[in-house]
Parts: sequence; structure tokens; C-alpha cells
Amino acid sequence: MNYDETGTVTDIDGDLRKRVAGMGIRVGKRLRMITKQPIKGPVVVIVDEAETSLGLELAERITVGVD
Amino acid sequence: MGHPNVGKSVFFNRLTGANVTESNYPGTTVDYTKGWMKIEGEDVELVDVPGTFSLDPKDKAEDVAVAMLHETRDVKVISVIDASKIERGLYLALEIIEEGYPVVIALNMWDVAWDKNIRIDARKLEQILGVPVVPTTAISGEGIKELVSRLKDIQPVEVDDIIANAGGLT
Amino acid sequence: MTLSLEERWTLIDKISRETVTFGKYEHTLKDAIGELTVKPLTGIPVAIAIMYGFWSAFGSFAGTLMTDGFFVKLFDGYWLPWLQGAFPGQGSWLYSIMVDAGGLGGSEFVLSDTCFEAFGVLTSGIFVAIGVVLPAISIFYLMLALLEDVGYMPRLAVLLDTVLHRVGLHGYAIVPTILSLGCNVPGVAATRILETKKQRFIMMTLLAIFIPCGAQIGIMDKVVPALMGWILLYLIIGYFIFGYILNKVVPGKAPEFLIDVPPYRKPLMRNITKKIWGRITGFFKVALPFVMLGCAIVNVLYLLGVIQWLGDVLAPIFVGWFGVPKETAGPLVAAFLRKDLAVAQLSVINMTDYQRITAVVLVTIYFPCVATFAMMLKEGWKELIAAIGVLIIVVFTYGGLIHLIGIILGVAE
Repeated sequence: MNYDETGTVTDIDGDLRKRVAGMGIRVGKRLRMITKQPIKGPVVVIVDEAETSLGLELAERITVGVD
Repeated sequence: MGHPNVGKSVFFNRLTGANVTESNYPGTTVDYTKGWMKIEGEDVELVDVPGTFSLDPKDKAEDVAVAMLHETRDVKVISVIDASKIERGLYLALEIIEEGYPVVIALNMWDVAWDKNIRIDARKLEQILGVPVVPTTAISGEGIKELVSRLKDIQPVEVDDIIANAGGLT
Repeated sequence: MTLSLEERWTLIDKISRETVTFGKYEHTLKDAIGELTVKPLTGIPVAIAIMYGFWSAFGSFAGTLMTDGFFVKLFDGYWLPWLQGAFPGQGSWLYSIMVDAGGLGGSEFVLSDTCFEAFGVLTSGIFVAIGVVLPAISIFYLMLALLEDVGYMPRLAVLLDTVLHRVGLHGYAIVPTILSLGCNVPGVAATRILETKKQRFIMMTLLAIFIPCGAQIGIMDKVVPALMGWILLYLIIGYFIFGYILNKVVPGKAPEFLIDVPPYRKPLMRNITKKIWGRITGFFKVALPFVMLGCAIVNVLYLLGVIQWLGDVLAPIFVGWFGVPKETAGPLVAAFLRKDLAVAQLSVINMTDYQRITAVVLVTIYFPCVATFAMMLKEGWKELIAAIGVLIIVVFTYGGLIHLIGIILGVAE
């Protein structure tokens, strides 16, 4: 998934499911990425109009189907 | 209880007259604070806990909050939800309800949700959940009185009833 | 009965479909600013500008306007001469401790001209606390409160995540770091927002060693303004070098960053003033007694000859290894009680600029003040002992390294 794209979460890896659940990220949820920091930095996504920032390694474990 | 940065400390200060630090970032409160408030002439102890995303703590501050809840079984919980992020707020609220605690829900930051054109039918939500749901804007003090007035008659509810009210799980 | 994760979400979906309607959401100016300050291309320049603004407001308000423009005149012009005359028994022990030691260590008693030189509990002690530190922390806490309440901190955390990852932390470590710039005590408490023991240990150790508190920065800016850049540079470099090493050495995990970024909000005046007031009064309840106590203890130790003795005993280490005059032993004793006081005492010892840089850096990285110490103990004594071990190693290696750099640059011997 790239900068400024919108998509739907299709899969979340294992135990991460539980960790991001409280932040409202789950399978079937729509999200938009607003930034990606350089040099393996974190990404910022918008879910339900709320901004959440995730480390890149975490973000890579969430699969998103881009529109 | 509630997520980080939903205004728990603002409520606490309003209700007890205490001076707990309030800021606009998650994790301002890292320890619990106890205080006293009056409900119909009776002194009631109120505890402000750090924010947590779920009842599975991921850091030490969340641990403080969850341990506090589990150590004291006979408490009533004010579940503070950011009304503009209602779904994830309900996630935590349901976790607390499922464990059998009597809960009142404060739909806080009602003004922010309104600005974002999010409309919530609080009355209907209350009917489905079976617990009081009060829209509030803690910073300006709106809804706080109503919240207090409803604290006394809250009861634990069965998740099965909620599921039935919502029309099943399918 | 409890639900599984999937069941819970299904239920929430149902409830939310019944009760919530998401209207068409219009992007506002606030959101646009929010996005701009978090994107690297625009966010980093904004962050630098904010930090620079923070720094210059700090320097000009606290240093120039309040301290130089008002308190120095008040204290040196009126308070000191008045007290020198009004306090009975010039040259006596009590006089030396409370008012003016009259050129400490020297054989002749000379009345001091400034509150920095006098060293008395009622002169230097009160001047340091009220004249220098009060304006510094007031402006610091005002700006901190603004950044906090607007909601800028999480955005700064996102921007700094990449760098802080190299030292085993993540972006959110910026919160304890910045709080520590005000006072290390709340900084140590804030390490609780980090997920693992490893992260908390690294953070706490780095805070205790490399982050000077607001009081100390305020006084540094007053007594060694020209050398500030170098001192801070050495501290920042040390933070990263030793953070990097700790990350390699300390066992445990350094999990990824996962935080919420709240929308910007207009800060409420009431909350800001309340917060500043709370922090300043809290600070003074701790600071003022300790500054005065520290002053008294150091003076007594001077009069008893303990400082001179310590200086002689430690001379090989001080002069040979760190390259600073042996008189710095006194301020290092005071540093345990209050670092701001120690820096003030360093300022009257005769030494070269490079020695002064070294000495101030040493005071900073050397033992945290008692209050921080107590707070760290509360978080766990094992961690505290380990942190002290690291601290001793750091003081010796880094102190020696700074001396070595000085020799290479040709400014130390």
C-alpha cells in the first residue's frame, strides 16, 4: 500500500490482531494512509477519521486490498 | 476507564475538584489518582486511571489501569468513550461489561463528533446495551450532571441480552 | 460470559449500524495542518522551527529579559549589599554559610560583588532558585503546556521514530525526554508509556544521565551562554552513542511504535494556567529547600576543609583523566542535591572554556539529583543499581573521551 491510497484490511497477522483491535483496526475496515516516513519510519493511517501511527514492521503484517 | 486521551482526567478533575494534569496526547496519566466526590450527599471514592486500549495491557501504564479494575471487584465503572471514535471505544466498554462490571458510558468529545458530522443515537445505544449512555463534553462541563445523576442506578448486564437486543450475532 | 475478538467486532458492527450515522466529512484546515506537520517533507522543517522558537523564547525571556534585566539588578544591586551589611558577624561561620563566604578557600576575607560569588544560602541560594531558575522553568512550562494541549507531541513522536529506533526506543520516547527537560522526575514516571522493560530501562538511564533539567538549562544559559551549543552537542551525541550501545547490550525486545495521533485542539487558557501553576509550585516545594540545603552543605564542607581534601584526593582523576581543575570537586558534591546549584558554583572557578564545557557536561551526566534518584528507586531497585553501574561507566569513558577530543583539537592538555 502506498501513500495517499485507500483500501480495505483483508488480513492481520496472528497476535497483532489483538493489539490493534483496541485502535479500531480490524479485518474489513477501510483505511487511508496519509504518510510514510523515510528510512523505514512509521506510517500514519486514518481509520474512522482517527489517525493512528504504526511502526513499519507492524504495518507490514497488515494486509490491505487497495482500491 | 477508557482509551488514552479521551478526557478521563478532565472528568476526574471536574468531579472531584482535583488537579490532575490534562494534556492532548495519549499517556498523560501514568499512575492512578484517588479522589472523593459527592453523590446525593454521600462521599464516594473516585479513581482516575491511565488510559488503555483493551483489557490486555501492552505497557506499564495500561497495566496500572487493568490491575486496578481487577483488584477491586465491587466498583462501578465510568467508561469514557471518544464519541468520534465510537467503535473502538465500544470494544473496551464491552470487554468491561462482559467481565460483569456495572458500567455507565460517557460519550465524551460529543462536540468533536458533531463537528465531524458523526451522529449517534444515544438513546438507542442505551436501549441496546442496557446501560446508561450520556453524551458529554467534559472540557466545557456539558453532560457531567446527568452522568452523575445516573451513576447510582447502574447494574451489570448480560452480554446475551445485548446480543439479543442487537438482533443476534449474524 | 465473554466474547471472542471476532464476535465482539461483529456485535459492535451491528450496534453501530443501528445507532451511528457518519455524515459526509469535510476536510478542515485543522486536518490539513495535521497532515502537513506529520509528513516528513513539511513536518521536519516545522519541527525544527518549533524547537528553535522554543529555544529562542526560552533564552530571550528567561535569560535576557527576566534574569539579566531584572533579577540580577535586584539581587546584586540591592539584596546582596543590604544583607552583607544587615547580617551580623561578618567572617563568622554562620555569616559565611548564610550570606557571603568571602572568596572561598582564600586566606583573606573579601566581600563578594555578585550573588554568584557569594555562595551563601540566603544570597546565592535564593538568587539561583528565584532569579535564574524560576523564569527559566516558567517559560519552559508555558511552552510545554502549549505543545501538549494543542496535540503536537504525538506528531513529533512520529517524526522522530526512525532516529529513536536506532537506540532501542521508539518515537514515543520523545515524551519522557521532553518532560525531563523540565524536570527528570516526571520524565522518569512517563517511561511507563513504553512497552517493555528493556525500553524503560534504556530510557530511564539515558534520561538520568544525559538530559539536563530545566533548572540546569536555565542556569547554564545564564553563566555559560557562549558554550551552551557545545555542551548540548556533547549531551545529544552521548545520548545516542550510549543509547546505541545499551540497545545492543541490554537483553529484551524493542517493540514497534503504535500510537494514536489526536486531532489538534485549541488549548484552554484555564487548563494551561492551572498546569503551569501546579508544576511551578510543585517544583518549588522540592527545589527551594534543596538549593538552600545544598548551599549550606557545600559551605560547611568547605569550611571544614572536606572539599579541599576531596579535591586533593581526587586530583589525579579530575586533572589527569577529565582535564578539569580539582576545585570542581565541591560543585560535584552539590550536584547530587541540585544540579542548577552545581553549575552556578562551577561558574566562579577559574578555568579555560574547554574545561568549563567538560565540567558542566560532567555535572550533567554525573549522579542524578536526589529527587530523580528517589523516583527511579520507586520504579525498581534492580534497575536503579544497573542504571548507576551504567552511569559510572559512562562518566569515566565519556568524560575521558571529551578530554581526549579536547587534546586532539588542541584546546586541552
